[in-house]
Amino acid sequence: MRGLLPFLASRLLRAAIALWLVSTVVFVVMRLSGDPVPLLLPSDAPQSEFARVRAELGLDRSLPVQYAVFLGHVMHADFGQSIHFRQSAARVVLDYLPATFELGLAAFALALLVALPIGVVSAVKRNSAVDQATMALALVGQSAPTFFIGILLILIVSLNLGLLPTSGREGWQSLVLPALTLGAFAMASIARLTRSAVLEVLRADYIRTARAKGVTEVLVVVKHTLKNAAVPIVTITGLQFGTLLGGAVVTETVFAWPGIGRLAIQSIYNRDYPVVQCTVFISAVLFIVINFFVDLIYGLLDPRVRAS
Amino acid sequence: MTDMTRRDVLKIAAAGAAAALPGLPPSALAQGTQKRELVVAQGGDIAALDPHLSTSSNDIRISFNIFDNLTSRRPDGKLLPSLATEWKLQGQTAWVFKLRSGVKFHNGDPLTSADVKFSIDRSLDTNLKGNRVSTVLTTVERVETPDPGTAVVHTKKPDPLLPARLGFYGGQIIPKKYVESVGPDAFNAKPVGSGPTRFVSWTKDDKLVLEANPDYWGGRVDFDRLIVRALPEMAPRVAALLKGEVDLITQVPPDQGERVKGNPSTVVSGALYGGLYVLAVNSKRPPLDNPLVKQALSLAIDRDAIVKELWRGRGVVPSGMIAKGDNHFDASLPPLAFNASEAKARLKKAGYKGEEVVIETTVGYMAGDKPMAEAIQAMWRDVGVNSKVEVMEYSVRAQKIREKSFKGLWWSDPTSTLRDPDGMMWRLLGPGGPQDYWRHAEFDELGNAARFSVDEKFRADAYKKMTQLFLEHFPWVPVIQPYEDYGLQKYVEWTPDPLQQLEIRRFNFKFRRA
Repeated sequence: MRGLLPFLASRLLRAAIALWLVSTVVFVVMRLSGDPVPLLLPSDAPQSEFARVRAELGLDRSLPVQYAVFLGHVMHADFGQSIHFRQSAARVVLDYLPATFELGLAAFALALLVALPIGVVSAVKRNSAVDQATMALALVGQSAPTFFIGILLILIVSLNLGLLPTSGREGWQSLVLPALTLGAFAMASIARLTRSAVLEVLRADYIRTARAKGVTEVLVVVKHTLKNAAVPIVTITGLQFGTLLGGAVVTETVFAWPGIGRLAIQSIYNRDYPVVQCTVFISAVLFIVINFFVDLIYGLLDPRVRAS
Repeated sequence: MTDMTRRDVLKIAAAGAAAALPGLPPSALAQGTQKRELVVAQGGDIAALDPHLSTSSNDIRISFNIFDNLTSRRPDGKLLPSLATEWKLQGQTAWVFKLRSGVKFHNGDPLTSADVKFSIDRSLDTNLKGNRVSTVLTTVERVETPDPGTAVVHTKKPDPLLPARLGFYGGQIIPKKYVESVGPDAFNAKPVGSGPTRFVSWTKDDKLVLEANPDYWGGRVDFDRLIVRALPEMAPRVAALLKGEVDLITQVPPDQGERVKGNPSTVVSGALYGGLYVLAVNSKRPPLDNPLVKQALSLAIDRDAIVKELWRGRGVVPSGMIAKGDNHFDASLPPLAFNASEAKARLKKAGYKGEEVVIETTVGYMAGDKPMAEAIQAMWRDVGVNSKVEVMEYSVRAQKIREKSFKGLWWSDPTSTLRDPDGMMWRLLGPGGPQDYWRHAEFDELGNAARFSVDEKFRADAYKKMTQLFLEHFPWVPVIQPYEDYGLQKYVEWTPDPLQQLEIRRFNFKFRRA
């Protein structure tokens, strides 16, 4: 592999710039969106009480000073004290992170496990009843809002069929519905893309050649087609991982899943600046790391990428 | 009471979507249970366990079960002995509390007057980081402890409501020795009180586990463990109840209540909210500076229709500024009238020229806020008022309260933890209060005098006269006094409180045994 070091260095630089931009945007947007102090105190609290709490939270300083302090702390992975939880914001986010990882990985695994075979089968059996049914279902999965899918699953699977718990995080049973809800969108889009990528390859000359050579159909699909269709599939899969983080906000709220998505939304409502900043920062780091690995996998899959 | 958690009370859209979906499972008709564990689901997680660090309803539902106060407010509104067995006023400003003997904290330490003094002093300590109750007991000057079983609370001025104040948040009694030895952070992480349940563990945003205090002076509660879960979305919260995963849920909106009632193994139990839902008025802004216009706005609201259609009957029409169940509520007053033609006549008399009247509403901060605002807007348009609804976000509302910058009317849910007009109405509408947009010399004089009088007869007269002035000037347009509903399994026998505190004691809770 040519020039891995310069590649890494440029990626790291870009990652650092991206993180700086993300944290600055969050800092500015949160400050523009309102003051946390009125939410913390009774409406009839005296002015002196407001001043006291504002000073306690460091909000009495000017914006540039607050920003400088914020950046300085971020360099040391210190996001300040959570206003709501009264402990280190990073600690709070780290406490919530494992639940989101668990849910995200389960959703992702479920999405891949279901979507890849469906996509391949649909492409190979193009225009068959199976193809049409699964693609219609995928369209629904891609268009229905996560919130709706979640509540529908709770009502049908959990309440009417009495199969799985409605919410909470206790045992693998409670993971199934949220993972399905969160994975639905990714599942649908990966299935659809897999189908079109495989179709594309199936039309290629080398497939016709393979068939002409008398290679069995199974081998044609598994060996020749899948390997060549992998690049777009890996791309969309990597991107879907990012949307999983976004979908976690809704899914975790519907299923009372104690992860960072739910933490983020609550912290926004509470104007808990430090926690919001830390959550977004960590999400951005995750996103960048995942994209980095997607790029690396490209290189492994496709020699043409390595060359450029 | 401005708790942020009220916002998740009602999500009409979600409720509608869920209600439209198909039927319920055939539930087992088990009316009795062998359960030793009570599972409660509320709309949000707790923020703090230290009772001095929070006033939000999600937190007080827990802290009032870990801690006791000197006095206890029962669901019927009566103030009864708790850690104090009796109290009396000595002179004008000294309240003498006799403490219950033999009470121990969960760690075995005895509860004495030193703990009472420590608790009240700490609640007032503005240097306590994160203190959110420092304004509750500000009438207190100092606390004396003549002996371990007696606490004397001196107030700066006569304070008729002190025993009631000590019965709600800010008044929980915490253990001096433990708090001083472990420090505030450890106390918040592992609280020790003297209440009917003691702390076991807390997994953030998942569940809190408490266990019965076997030595509780009021008798051991009828469960071994109390588990409190946070289920933020309303439809899943109701689903968890219907499926039997939880025994008790909070904040059930009216349309979901029908589902809970329709299910064979669950019931709805409600308490009339200890306050009112009102449209507060910026009376400084024309045309709302004209009392005739405000009278017309009140007359144009068909409150019966709002109660019946939007609340499915789960509320009552207010008669004035005092909530039913509060001190000095006048049961002889008729409910606020609906009379569209009279409303038109008063608008004409006022010389109303079609000036814009804006209702600024949040969505879901208070139950039914936006649907009610839209219904009222339509009713006002019917009598020729150029009304408009604008939607704002919670924090914008909080900011507008600070800046007193509302354009016209906005929702408020005034309530008093003391069940008294002073805390409910005068705290907000009085001079310098958060809703000080209208002044009236006689109203102000009466309100001030009632605040510092220890003569209940005098206070009753004052609030009667103030109500007459209120009904002429409408600094608030009261709309409804709703029920706050809970969903229960049929085997749970529990009487809810009107102030959202979810106190579970032997006198108000038991499992129905099979």
